[in-house]
Amino acid sequence: MQVVVFIAKRLVAMVVVLLLVSLLVFSLLMLSPGSILATLLGTQPTTPELIHSLEERYHLNDPFFVQYWNWLVNALHGDFGQSIQSGEDVTTVVADRLPVTLGLAGLALLLVLVIGIPAGMAAGMRRGKPFDRLVTLLTIVGMSAPVFTVGILLIYVFGVRFEIMPVYGAGEGFLGRIEHLTLPAVALATGLTALIVRQTRAATMTVMDQDYITFARARGLSRSRILIPYALRNTALPMVTAAGLMLIGAISGTVIIETVFSLQGVGSLMIESVQAKDIPVVQGLALFIAVLVVVVNLVVDLLALIIDPRIRLSVKG
Amino acid sequence: MTTSGSDGEDVLLEVEGLTVTASKPDRTLVRDVGLRIGPGRTLGVVGESGSGKSLTARSLVGLLPAGLHAIGSASFQGISLLNAPERTLRRLRGDRISLLLQDPFTMLNPSQTIGAHIGESLPRDVRHDRQRRSREIERRLLEVGLSSEVAQRFPFQLSGGMCQRVALAAALASDPDLLIADEPTTALDVTTQNDILRLLKGLQEQRGMALILITHDLQVAFSVCDRVQVMYAGSVVEQAPAAELMTEPLHPYSLGLLRSEPPVDHYVGQLNSIPGNVPSPDSVRHVCAFAARCDWAADRCRSARPGLQTVRAGRTSACARVESIAEELRAAVAEIEHERSATPAPPAGPPILTLSEVRKSFQSTGLLRSSTRTVALNGVSFTITAGESLGLVGETGSGKTTIARSILGLTTVDSGTIEAGGLDVTSYRRLKSAERKRARRFVQVVFQDPYASLNPSLTVGSTLREVLALRSSSAADDEVAELLRQVGLPGSYAVRRPAALSGGERQRVAIARAVAMRPELLICDEPVAALDVSAQAQVLELLREIRRRHGMAMLFITHDLSVVRQMADRVVVLYRGEVVESGDTGQVLDRPAHVYTRKLILAVPGRGRRPSLPAIEPG
Amino acid sequence: MTAETALVVAPARTPRRPSVLIMLAFTVLLIVAVLAVFGQWLAPQDPTVQDPLLSVTPPGDGHLLGTDQLGRDVFSLIIAAARSAIVGPVCVALGCVLIGGTLGMVGAYFGGVADVAVNRFADLVYALPALLIAIVVIGVVDGGYWLTAAILIFLSTPYQIRLCRSVTMVQVRLPYVDAARTIGLTSRRTLFRHILPNILPTVVATLLLDFVAALIGYSALAYLGLGVQAGQPDWGAMLAEGQSFITVNPWLSLAPAIMLIATASSVTLVGDWLYDRLSSKAVSR
Repeated sequence: MQVVVFIAKRLVAMVVVLLLVSLLVFSLLMLSPGSILATLLGTQPTTPELIHSLEERYHLNDPFFVQYWNWLVNALHGDFGQSIQSGEDVTTVVADRLPVTLGLAGLALLLVLVIGIPAGMAAGMRRGKPFDRLVTLLTIVGMSAPVFTVGILLIYVFGVRFEIMPVYGAGEGFLGRIEHLTLPAVALATGLTALIVRQTRAATMTVMDQDYITFARARGLSRSRILIPYALRNTALPMVTAAGLMLIGAISGTVIIETVFSLQGVGSLMIESVQAKDIPVVQGLALFIAVLVVVVNLVVDLLALIIDPRIRLSVKG
Repeated sequence: MTTSGSDGEDVLLEVEGLTVTASKPDRTLVRDVGLRIGPGRTLGVVGESGSGKSLTARSLVGLLPAGLHAIGSASFQGISLLNAPERTLRRLRGDRISLLLQDPFTMLNPSQTIGAHIGESLPRDVRHDRQRRSREIERRLLEVGLSSEVAQRFPFQLSGGMCQRVALAAALASDPDLLIADEPTTALDVTTQNDILRLLKGLQEQRGMALILITHDLQVAFSVCDRVQVMYAGSVVEQAPAAELMTEPLHPYSLGLLRSEPPVDHYVGQLNSIPGNVPSPDSVRHVCAFAARCDWAADRCRSARPGLQTVRAGRTSACARVESIAEELRAAVAEIEHERSATPAPPAGPPILTLSEVRKSFQSTGLLRSSTRTVALNGVSFTITAGESLGLVGETGSGKTTIARSILGLTTVDSGTIEAGGLDVTSYRRLKSAERKRARRFVQVVFQDPYASLNPSLTVGSTLREVLALRSSSAADDEVAELLRQVGLPGSYAVRRPAALSGGERQRVAIARAVAMRPELLICDEPVAALDVSAQAQVLELLREIRRRHGMAMLFITHDLSVVRQMADRVVVLYRGEVVESGDTGQVLDRPAHVYTRKLILAVPGRGRRPSLPAIEPG
Repeated sequence: MTAETALVVAPARTPRRPSVLIMLAFTVLLIVAVLAVFGQWLAPQDPTVQDPLLSVTPPGDGHLLGTDQLGRDVFSLIIAAARSAIVGPVCVALGCVLIGGTLGMVGAYFGGVADVAVNRFADLVYALPALLIAIVVIGVVDGGYWLTAAILIFLSTPYQIRLCRSVTMVQVRLPYVDAARTIGLTSRRTLFRHILPNILPTVVATLLLDFVAALIGYSALAYLGLGVQAGQPDWGAMLAEGQSFITVNPWLSLAPAIMLIATASSVTLVGDWLYDRLSSKAVSR
């Protein structure tokens, strides 16, 4: 019962946060230099009909909060207006771009988890050994290198120098997609893997120093027993928290890496729209990302609830 | 499957020449340690911190911390333990040898139920049969005095004593032949400690299991073990049957340990202690490790390192002069019992601290759920008169530390009043700045943990100068030196940082800091609980001396009744935030009225176990 | 027996002689710092001189790393860009540490409603994709170099607040702080003389991490054509430009990429090393 109350509380908090964000997102219109009308018109030919329809849609002659309210109600119905650049519905534009981004994110996440967690745990258990030192050095470089520099190095090495991988576009068909997305995914995953390795390593080192590991070994428990219910189970909580933050950080990385590799995804759409001051699209994307961020945070909280008996039982009361 | 020792006795585990070294930097931590235990026997390994007793234990199960290496020989039923491959050791651990650690709260996996802890350690055939497994878990819990429903719970839902019972059940789940218990009761309250020791002894006898008990407390070893070996600075200094060591130690260090324990049943005018600090094993490689602190040290003690020699059957000592001083040692032990002094008359003065009906509860916000209230103080009242020393006794959760913090203004009580030196200090925030200053000078404090109560980034000198500057505008260096001298430290310590000091020395600096304010009331919150036995007596004696010199009143907070006996004129016994008994120290300790007080007294280790001593032989 | 094991484990962390790697990192930082300060006198050629005949040429003919689209010397541009790469991030890092450190420390020490409010705010911003927000805001409002600094400070300060708050919290619970209060020291003295020296390793380490984050942020914005003026030499912007000409003169994009990676990695490395050194120093003296 208390779990339900807890989730309900979180949902309410989510809605409040999203309302706040939506207010900020809406004010982007005000922040943009020049009049709102000029911003919304962009480079489209100025006709009295267009001006009239924009004034009507955005309630430009009403006070700020009336404007906001109308915009919000439309947004809740999935209507963010039309793109200034293409004139299409914002929702359509975003939906067209989504598959590439999802593919990129999925592939990168796979790389991060498959390489990051085992490498981090192995380094944490071999503290101070050559393997650990090598991993530590690599993570320092990996987390320090800006994502687009990694991208450019990959493009140069695999696309220009040896010409073995495609470096532009998203490719056709499933295999073509994978082939085209591999380098961008590696570039995106580099920094994230470094972060996750660092977190896993630190968490593993902390856990391996605990008395309960010594006591488990003193009772002759098997290696797999110590590795899973002891080491992995107890590193899971900090790891999930770290993974959540990492996912959120990955959003910024995706935006940049799509630009580097000229991928027609949501991220590059964001950049194009920002550069073209296509505010309706930016607003739609920003809210979409806000929802994503809030959902990730909720999932992290729920996972913590499942993982840690202390939290779970204190919720049950 | 037991091998026979040279003297025909069965031997389960025999260790010879065990040496533990650290690489980077190269250091020796345990040197040339021998040890032998027969099946079903009990051996106590006693030593202060730095003696190497824990490392000795860990090296036997192959669980030394990273970077440490053991050499020498250790044979367990014919199997060599040192540097054995991990696979061999894993098969031995649990099944044949098990290890129990100190801290019950960190020893168990926080994300696993109690049942899982015991279940995973059961023998393979039981473990894989679901029905037998749960029956067996229930039986094992019962064996350590816990009910079967505990199996469903998680460690954080249990008390320290219960966790230690669970750990014991888990350690014994595969029915080992030898249990090594490393300070299993040190982290527990006195009454719980007593229960766990009795349980441990009972299980050992029932199962006919051998037990190595590692402890810093001689009385704990005496209460459980047939034989005791004393370790000092990484080496063994004496091995003896427990009963003989009590009355007839054959090494000056063993005598020192016996003498350092303040007695619980009578007041002693001058507390004995061992002067100085424990040296590092490497610094005493070529001399007797104890020579620098020994009353009997001669030139030969400082020219070569004496080995462990057999004095007579069952007795060995590493004292080079054991033959010539044995009689003196025996006489000195006898003297301990006879060294009774009359309890000093408590000074009669006006009350300077009055607590009336003080209540305090804490709101703990759970990670996710609504907060819970725990009552720390439930209507506590007492007074302290000028120059008097009041002992405040209680276990964990009794509220004794909350009282100290309330008097010091570090926390504010919910209701009731606290009056100190004629000021109402119930709420420090409401005091005017001049009044607050007066209150700060009136009462000062010495905290328990000497490792955290000094700022690690400041030198001893700047810590003390800071206080002196508050008292008078000009704080000269010679005042710092004078303060250090008063607490028995050389003036040269002023330039040192706390990390370069031993626990006892740090506590002396903390005392100097408190005394520098010339308070009329000194609160001592468990000031010796974190110290080694030999340092404890030194600090207690220092506090007595300071009190004599400055005539200040003391509020002495402790869980240790022997300390109360030595330090307090009057006692207040606190149980779960309420005063259950109070009165003159002698009266409360000798004729306790409340059930809880009686339980506390009965739980003191070694109480009533010391056999009546032979009269001092003439000559 | 934790005291005994602690005694054993501690020396493993005693400061060792700095390794070759650390020396290398310090060398890189020294070079970058020298370039940032004296770059305009050190550049072999005037980075502003354009030569339409030399639009994007590979290395050679007096141009060590070739030329860019406008025929400017890439090697000199790299040197000239060091200043803008360093100054902004240094300001951001200092700003974060001063604001975040103070808020975190004061909040942890005094507690109360203000602390809770600051902490909630920090939690909120912490869970946001900071770089993306910077991209959107700076893109939409056409922000310049210093507005970028302000926005990066705003977005990274919560991290600093949380960190300083948690390390101060640890110290506040230690009895030496109680002792300082008991002898009647002022809160300011307790905070700055007693607590600050003990959390300094963390503060220094985060200062350097903040610098790296700001360096990455600035260069990413510049790569996207945001936050720097057109024509101003900048590593991120050069890299974006060079990407189109990567087959003609790869150095136009590789050189700034290498400079960025080397600078950021060296600072992180030094930060890690300094943290270990400072925190073990407090224990071992």
